[in-house]
Amino acid sequence: MSTAATPARLPEKPSGPPNPHLIKIRDVVYQVAGIFQPDNKLRSFEDRVAKRMQVLAVTSLKDYFDCLTVKPIRQAELIALLNEITIGETCFFRNQPQLDALRNIVLPKIVEAQTKIPVKTLRIWSAGCSTGEEPYTLSMVMLEEIADRMKGWTYEIQATDLNERSLAHCKHGVYGAYSTRNLTPHFKQKYFQEKGDGLQISQEVRARVNFTRVNLSDNARMAFMKGMDIIFCCNVLIYFDVTSKRRVIQHYYNNLLPHGYFFLGHSESLYGISDDFRLVHMPSTTAYVKSQIRQVPR
Amino acid sequence: MSNETREKLLKKLESLDKMPTLPVTLIPLLRYLEQPLEQVDVRQVVDLISQDKSLTAQCLQMANSPLFGRWQNVDNIKSAVVSLGLQRMRDIAVSCSMLTLVPSANKVDPVVFWEHSLGCALVCRQFARKIKYADPDKAYLGGLLHDIGIVAHLWVVPEEFQEVLQAAQAQHIPLHVAECNLLGVTHCQTGKTVAEKWHLPPDLTAVVECHHELEKATAHRDLVAVVTLSDLLCRMSGLGYGYTEDRQVNFQEEEGFNMLLKECPELKTFDWARFTFELEAYMEEVHQLVRQLYRPS
Repeated sequence: MSTAATPARLPEKPSGPPNPHLIKIRDVVYQVAGIFQPDNKLRSFEDRVAKRMQVLAVTSLKDYFDCLTVKPIRQAELIALLNEITIGETCFFRNQPQLDALRNIVLPKIVEAQTKIPVKTLRIWSAGCSTGEEPYTLSMVMLEEIADRMKGWTYEIQATDLNERSLAHCKHGVYGAYSTRNLTPHFKQKYFQEKGDGLQISQEVRARVNFTRVNLSDNARMAFMKGMDIIFCCNVLIYFDVTSKRRVIQHYYNNLLPHGYFFLGHSESLYGISDDFRLVHMPSTTAYVKSQIRQVPR
Repeated sequence: MSNETREKLLKKLESLDKMPTLPVTLIPLLRYLEQPLEQVDVRQVVDLISQDKSLTAQCLQMANSPLFGRWQNVDNIKSAVVSLGLQRMRDIAVSCSMLTLVPSANKVDPVVFWEHSLGCALVCRQFARKIKYADPDKAYLGGLLHDIGIVAHLWVVPEEFQEVLQAAQAQHIPLHVAECNLLGVTHCQTGKTVAEKWHLPPDLTAVVECHHELEKATAHRDLVAVVTLSDLLCRMSGLGYGYTEDRQVNFQEEEGFNMLLKECPELKTFDWARFTFELEAYMEEVHQLVRQLYRPS
């Protein structure tokens, strides 16, 4: 792979219909990786594509499309483009509609499904937890719920990642301004202490989060993650090829309890990957369930 | 609510005496929809729209929106018709005419209803195209007009309707459920009265009346199902009535889905996730466009 000497320049287009080759690139990324770029994000998508074109010294979107589809570098290039797309995504409370759906719909449904079970422990798995913002966000949400609507419940969060350095960051638990930009004063004051230039997550939030190194492709290890109520796996499966993705999804399916929920990242889909999971819509977000959904009267 | 109050309310709603009549421009435009395109006189459409200055301005704003597939400026109705086509121009003119129907002095912000109606119209057409439904343009009109009963509520029972909206917001329940609880009548029932008074075609009347109760539809069930599913998708995607309904929906288990499957086998493999993600772009455009268009006098 060559590095660029001259920057790729895309034609100036303040407004106008999107370039058809950009649409083709958007579609191939969705087909292969399962993550979609809606029309209102095409401008930012185009910028990220332009960065990759610059690295490859490719001058047209058509040629870049070939890099993703027919040239030998296609697999590596897709990963490089996905890295561009997901860069800077990690932060606390990253996906508010997803968290609202968790609190207002998912947790009440699980509580209802579990009324007859004496030991009320909720088990959440944050798969591909990166530097820990997602599992700690979930832990804060659960602490709030347990103090309010889920009195008498307890919870465990299994946070797993392949990368040892990311896991070390999780355990250290100190975060900079970028990661903490979405924190409301309430959460900041209640669950963080200042440490140097950053904020350190409180012991109360850490206490029920268990960090472990897990390779999602390790079938034997994956088979041990049973009994989950909810699984989050955001912006991780996009890097897997279809066969590996199907295998991981099957593990998630087997590890979820019958009433369980599976959440993907924003604009990620299981279309064409799994027929076992069923897509459900909640306000401004989607999730997957394994059981038939009881309909709300209309 | 006491039975007496409810009876009074129903009487008011049935008479619709405070409800404005259909805009003059809209009548011939809607009539045109019932005849083959080749018989429609383009000049007549241009003249009709051009007579109304504010309608002309609104139509041009809409015609220049990416939502209607136009990317270069058009500055007169004739160019807009030539550039966008008659069918699209009719949609725009009907949409703009409908905007004039909402009372401007009201405790309830009418903008959200137009956002929902226009958004739903666009989603209906796009959904219809994707599943190869026979008449995407009719689906657009169905989406645009499905909630005319709400417009009637805004005119005839504004205070009671404000309470309904507040209750729906507080409980995060569908609006028609709150209407049923508090008014004893839904916008579907009221809308049917409006549709009949306006002599809307039977298929659009069926949409207005049955979009929350598909089982009631005895004819035009496919069109009603297209609008019902699109309406629900809009409400679940942030294009509702300015609040969220706390519910979980599986579209493949919806009655409208099964009703449409025979007519549109494409629906069997329809990618609901992708279509939902695509709507994100619609939302921004619709918010922007309606805010530009809606100028309370």
